Amino acid sequence: MLSQFRSRASDSGALSVGVLGVGNIGTVHLKSALAMPDVAVVAAADAVPENRERAERAGVERTYDDYAALLAAEDLDVAVVALPPFLHAEAVERAAEHGVDVFVEKPLARSTEEADRMLETATQAGIAVGVDHTLRYQPDMVGVKSAYEDGSVGHVPYASITRLNDGPLGRPPADAAPPSWPLDSDAVGGGSLLELGVHCFDVLEWLFGELEVRAATTGHTLDIDVEDAATVLLRAPETGTTVTLHCGSYQWEELPEVNTRLRLEGITGTITNQEHLPEHFYASAARAALENVASRVGAADRTVFGPTFYLQAHYDALADFVGAIRNGEEPPVSGRDGRRSLALAERAYDLAAETTATEIELPEVRP
Amino acid sequence: MNAVRLAAVDRDGRGWRPDVDTRRARLEDAVGTVLAPHRDRLEDADRVAIAPDAHYPFHPSTGVVTDPAVVGAVAAWLDRELGADVAVLGRSDDRIAFERTASYLGYDRLAERVGAALVDLADVPKRNEYRSAGGRSVALSVPEPLLESPTIVVPTLRPTAEGMVAGATRTLARLVRSTAEPERIAIAVTRAVEPVLAVLDGVVAYGDDPAAVDAVLSGSAPAVDAVATSLLGRAIGDDEALSELVPESTRPVAVENLDELDLDAVRERLSGGRLPPSEDTHPAVSTAYRLYAATSGDAVPPQLER
Repeated sequence: MLSQFRSRASDSGALSVGVLGVGNIGTVHLKSALAMPDVAVVAAADAVPENRERAERAGVERTYDDYAALLAAEDLDVAVVALPPFLHAEAVERAAEHGVDVFVEKPLARSTEEADRMLETATQAGIAVGVDHTLRYQPDMVGVKSAYEDGSVGHVPYASITRLNDGPLGRPPADAAPPSWPLDSDAVGGGSLLELGVHCFDVLEWLFGELEVRAATTGHTLDIDVEDAATVLLRAPETGTTVTLHCGSYQWEELPEVNTRLRLEGITGTITNQEHLPEHFYASAARAALENVASRVGAADRTVFGPTFYLQAHYDALADFVGAIRNGEEPPVSGRDGRRSLALAERAYDLAAETTATEIELPEVRP
Repeated sequence: MNAVRLAAVDRDGRGWRPDVDTRRARLEDAVGTVLAPHRDRLEDADRVAIAPDAHYPFHPSTGVVTDPAVVGAVAAWLDRELGADVAVLGRSDDRIAFERTASYLGYDRLAERVGAALVDLADVPKRNEYRSAGGRSVALSVPEPLLESPTIVVPTLRPTAEGMVAGATRTLARLVRSTAEPERIAIAVTRAVEPVLAVLDGVVAYGDDPAAVDAVLSGSAPAVDAVATSLLGRAIGDDEALSELVPESTRPVAVENLDELDLDAVRERLSGGRLPPSEDTHPAVSTAYRLYAATSGDAVPPQLER
């Protein structure tokens, strides 16, 4: 399987990277790539002029208003696809035409059907596909996995994970125009389950092995096209763990606080991600500043997005992907992993729809 | 003019109910109580315009926007008691179209149920009006529905980002165009439109966080704003617009507190409350991060570049 991935390391010293889409998360990828050793970010593309200007300020050499034009004009090794989900498949097809490996923002696609077409295209073109599932790169999740695998609480019959944020509508005061595509099911394929739930599925399978979806329900706190809340009951046969997952984009968020909770209830106690979070933001920022200043005069590695562990996780995910490409290895979070999370989300949607249908079809009770 | 009528909402069924009809049913008695004294000012109208605080689709359980259930209860009363047609007004701005906000908040379904029309004031003819404010004339471009029908403003009990009461006058000000300063627009629009009534949605208020106050009150727009200012622990004298609209000689505004709601407790709960800071990230954290990035050479997250 790995033979399809050709090493990029020997072509030149630096891996040539282009970033397709430099909105919020695309800019995180752009700045991450700019800070990576032996990576040359040669171009970025975005339809929004302000985003292109921000990319130029960040240090990218050339910008395009059309990602297809970028792919046609630049000689890339890797393209980071941080476009809205409805453009992922097309962008991967264009990249495949040019033999460019892709690191795709989650969700990989709007459906498993679309993902299958993308992965087939990638296979035929011999390009690698990685997916930006970052929870498994966060230090708190790494800490949970380490404690679990060390057997610190014994068997874990039950686990729960919650991921909440405020989605595209944000919180008061309303001082920015919310994009419409994240609330359009045709454009994104779904709501919270595809925006946040896929991250949770990925980290849960990373912890417990393959999951089975047993039941699900979705909800809407506003009259929007996609769900902004979802709850899923899962079973991990390999470890004998039952899991509840709740995700939603209805809760106001004030960074750097993020509401991601993972609890593993074991025989001898509980493991939580909260126990493994980095220390207080200010202390973390001060430490990272000192380390980075020291790295300017010494050989120490610089940290990127040092005080914000959840952005640092994006750096680590991209760095891991780039490392795999350089070495001709399969991406650590592959297209198959991305498709797997999508499949779990689709199963949850199906079960949620059955639940709703059952509720609607309840027979009328007559005296 | 300077009296408001306050009614407490039935305390049974406290806590947020997602079904708008359930919430509306709980509100109907209280809304009827505060509207009834103004019946004679409304009964000749064929059509009444309702202007809620629907500036953005924040969840109505937060108190940051008017609960559509309050608007529904007002519309249902107007239909039931007076047989008046109702239009619910909003205005698209450069952040979001009113159609989207109304849809996300459920106004379109509500309008269908109570037989109301939804009107985006960005799309209707405007009339130039000139009114005095702060000793000078202010030019306003006023959508005609605000001038042609009696208007009931339905604000929610919350502060603005600047810390003033959001209130009826500022809810109206968002519906017109003017190049004047915001305070003078609020004064001028209140004088130009002369809303027949303001009904404050105090069922859920927002201070530093949401609070179930379980009250509605009615009166003139300035009088309602004056009471709301007091409930938020602000002084009218600190509010340039209200200082002019509610001159000292007409203060204090009397509150007909029919259900003897403990207003001191409400004031204590809400006093000094503010909306969240405007940046995604807490300002202290933003400052610290920028300092850190400048010192260390690390990347700045995109949220902090705005």
